[in-house]
Amino acid sequence: MIRKLKILLILLLVGYASMADSIQFTMEGPEVVANGEQFRLGFTLNERGTDLQLPDLSNFDVLMGPSTSQSSSIQIINGKTTQSSSFSYIFILRAKKEGKFIIRPASIKVGGKTYESNSMSIEIVKGQPQQAAGQQSNQQQGNQQQQNEAPAGNISKDNLFVRVAVDKTNVSKGEQILATVKLYISQNVPLNGFDEVKLPSYEGFWTKDIDVPTQVNFTREVFNGKIYQVGVLKKTILFPQQIGTIRIDPFEITCLVRQRVRQQQGFFDDFFDNYQVVKAKVVSDPVAISVKDLPNQPANYTGAVGNFSLNGTIDKTSLKSNEAVTLKLNISGSGNLTLINPPKIELPQDFESYEPKTTDKTLASDNGLNGSVSFEYLFIPRFAGNFTIPAIQFVFFNPSTRKFETRSTEAYNLKVTKGTDDPNSSVVSSFSKEDVKMIGKDIRFIKQNKSEFKPKGSSFYGTFSFYAVFVISLVGFAVFYVVNRKKIIESSNVTLVRNKRANKVALKRLKEASGFLKKNQAEQFYEAVIKALWGYLSDKLSIPVAELNREKTSASLLAKGMDQEIVTELMKIIDDCEFARYAPAAFSGTMNEIYDGAAKVMGIFEKQIK
Amino acid sequence: MKRLINTILAILISVASFAQADLLQKANEHYTKEEFKQAIDAYNQILMTNMESSEVYFNLGNAYYKTKQYTLSILNYERAKQLAPDDEDISFNLQVVNQKVVDSIQELPGIFIVRWWDSLVNSQTTDTWAVLSIFSFVVFLTMLGFYFFAKTSEVKRITFWSGCFLILFTIFSWSFAAKQKSRLVNHTYAIVMQPTVTVKSSPSEKGTNLFVIHEGLKVKITDKLGDWVEIKLADGNKGWLLTESIERI
Repeated sequence: MIRKLKILLILLLVGYASMADSIQFTMEGPEVVANGEQFRLGFTLNERGTDLQLPDLSNFDVLMGPSTSQSSSIQIINGKTTQSSSFSYIFILRAKKEGKFIIRPASIKVGGKTYESNSMSIEIVKGQPQQAAGQQSNQQQGNQQQQNEAPAGNISKDNLFVRVAVDKTNVSKGEQILATVKLYISQNVPLNGFDEVKLPSYEGFWTKDIDVPTQVNFTREVFNGKIYQVGVLKKTILFPQQIGTIRIDPFEITCLVRQRVRQQQGFFDDFFDNYQVVKAKVVSDPVAISVKDLPNQPANYTGAVGNFSLNGTIDKTSLKSNEAVTLKLNISGSGNLTLINPPKIELPQDFESYEPKTTDKTLASDNGLNGSVSFEYLFIPRFAGNFTIPAIQFVFFNPSTRKFETRSTEAYNLKVTKGTDDPNSSVVSSFSKEDVKMIGKDIRFIKQNKSEFKPKGSSFYGTFSFYAVFVISLVGFAVFYVVNRKKIIESSNVTLVRNKRANKVALKRLKEASGFLKKNQAEQFYEAVIKALWGYLSDKLSIPVAELNREKTSASLLAKGMDQEIVTELMKIIDDCEFARYAPAAFSGTMNEIYDGAAKVMGIFEKQIK
Repeated sequence: MKRLINTILAILISVASFAQADLLQKANEHYTKEEFKQAIDAYNQILMTNMESSEVYFNLGNAYYKTKQYTLSILNYERAKQLAPDDEDISFNLQVVNQKVVDSIQELPGIFIVRWWDSLVNSQTTDTWAVLSIFSFVVFLTMLGFYFFAKTSEVKRITFWSGCFLILFTIFSWSFAAKQKSRLVNHTYAIVMQPTVTVKSSPSEKGTNLFVIHEGLKVKITDKLGDWVEIKLADGNKGWLLTESIERI
């Protein structure tokens, strides 16, 4: 219960405090007045107050006041009633001296509490000549031809004009300029309204309009020593996009000015003045702005001019493959924010990346274009591994220092683990195998290996050695053929060859014997045959002739694998020879039989004894 | 005796090629350091000694390519290709640099057999064909020997047919070698060196202008008369132009 009461009390107190704060006491007056001119100084209070204490007004004559007035209003919105009232105190003052004066705050009491108003400054300028009408009409005659639309009255270039005011005329490319279109009206020109407004096209600039109230508020301002009512028609931030001198086209506006028509005053017309509304077309002077190019642009400069800060955030640094990562870059500051291109991010090659999404929040004000622009990069690592996204650099030109400045984020380390093989994601499987990407095309590198030099235009073909190889191989073949052919024919009968060879040996041994046979000398013949046989056997069996006898010979012949018949035949021939020598009568055979038999036996031995 | 001559020749050539090998290495170093101008000078110095090799022409072509002298690059690649027709790198680089050539010539389709035949002839160098013909001849003789002295009819049959094939192969490779040699000696093909050349209908300035070709194009030389040569394009068009506007491969 007590707690409830406490809360109620606090609420009540808050309400009271807020009510107390809502008392507003303000001082209002013109900013500029001419010396000797009368002007109003008003105080407004939204409660009834007492004991108004005026500040020191010794520099002014108080001509009248205070005249008080009161107004109140009741508003009912959705059944809620609000009441407001205002009390005003108005003084008419006249300035005594030229100069700038500060009026100290006034004070007033409301319900026993004292409230102070704001203070304000008033500039008193040299008074306008009162006989201006006459002078102006003189001027008028000169201007009349120029301004046909202002045929009469006191409209001149001095009294009514527009100006395109820029805060800078010498800028770098992309640097922002604040252009304000102001309408200047002399105090004694009554303005009825505007007709046609032709705004400058601002060619060569990227523009951003600043919101100004549609209802033009006029304030007093001194220009060239004169007091004007000045209305701001338009405010624009300009970003030059070209280099060189850019001319801003004139601003044209047609003002409707009320003029008193002077006519022959008749007796009855005397009572009222006649007015007519004339059109006055005013044109501003063109403004030239010289734009310089930016000095030595760094390679990664993308056209940002101003003063910015960069902030990068990544939504996750450890993830599974095929999961999406968002990297957000936020660039905030003042400058050509909406013209900034997304900074380039060097992603690892295998990442799948998408176009960055750009969102900007900007506000155009007298301070320029402020706010932030953010870029959202979405990318998907397709493979597991540890990857590094290098620090992202953002380069901009700072016109106040006239230097390129770089802001960079930190480098991000991504830890990608292998994602679970999702059976649903058929897309993923198509990434498991991919073609080798051709990044560039160039010629193949030079050959580093050792090379074989040869004289220009030379070739093995057609040289002497080329033909020689053919001829030599052909001749070689021919020789081979002929030799081989003969060899084959001869070797086709192997026994013949062997016999021939054996017979050759035997005949050689029996050469002497054959000589005696021809001479028919029987005794010598037989002796020679026996000698040849024993000599042959001695050579063949490697037994000295002196040791040879029949038994030994036949035994060693049989041991060498000779047939018994051959050995017997040999013995018979030897016996026959001995018979023929020593007992010719007992021998019945002929010399030829003996010769042939010996030759045959020796031939057989030659063949068979190796 | 022959062996002695061969040895002496080999020694002479190797002594000479030591100097070229040094130069080649120097040139390659220049190329690797991306000093292409010096590399070009060094490669040309090798070629000035009247010695050549496919590697020198290939590397020189590369250096010309890097200095954006594409026409000279084509010329040297073509020369390299003549010495090493089956080198894949040369074909690849030639194809890359040919993309810089202005003229796009639609090659005549021709008869399949003829195209196949030409590419077969061009697939090997003169020397390769010459060696192949010798080799196949020797094998042929061996086969002949087997045929004559074989005992079974089986062997006889095999050696007879393979012998027939081998002697045909010998004859063909001999003729291919001859053909390649004539191309090498006569420089049948040429590269257009002038930026733009107007081809005339007859070998004189007064001839009718037939067509215009640009640098880097490969043309076949079919005839010659004084300062003029008759050329034939891959699409079959023929015409005359001045010798100075082309460089024989």
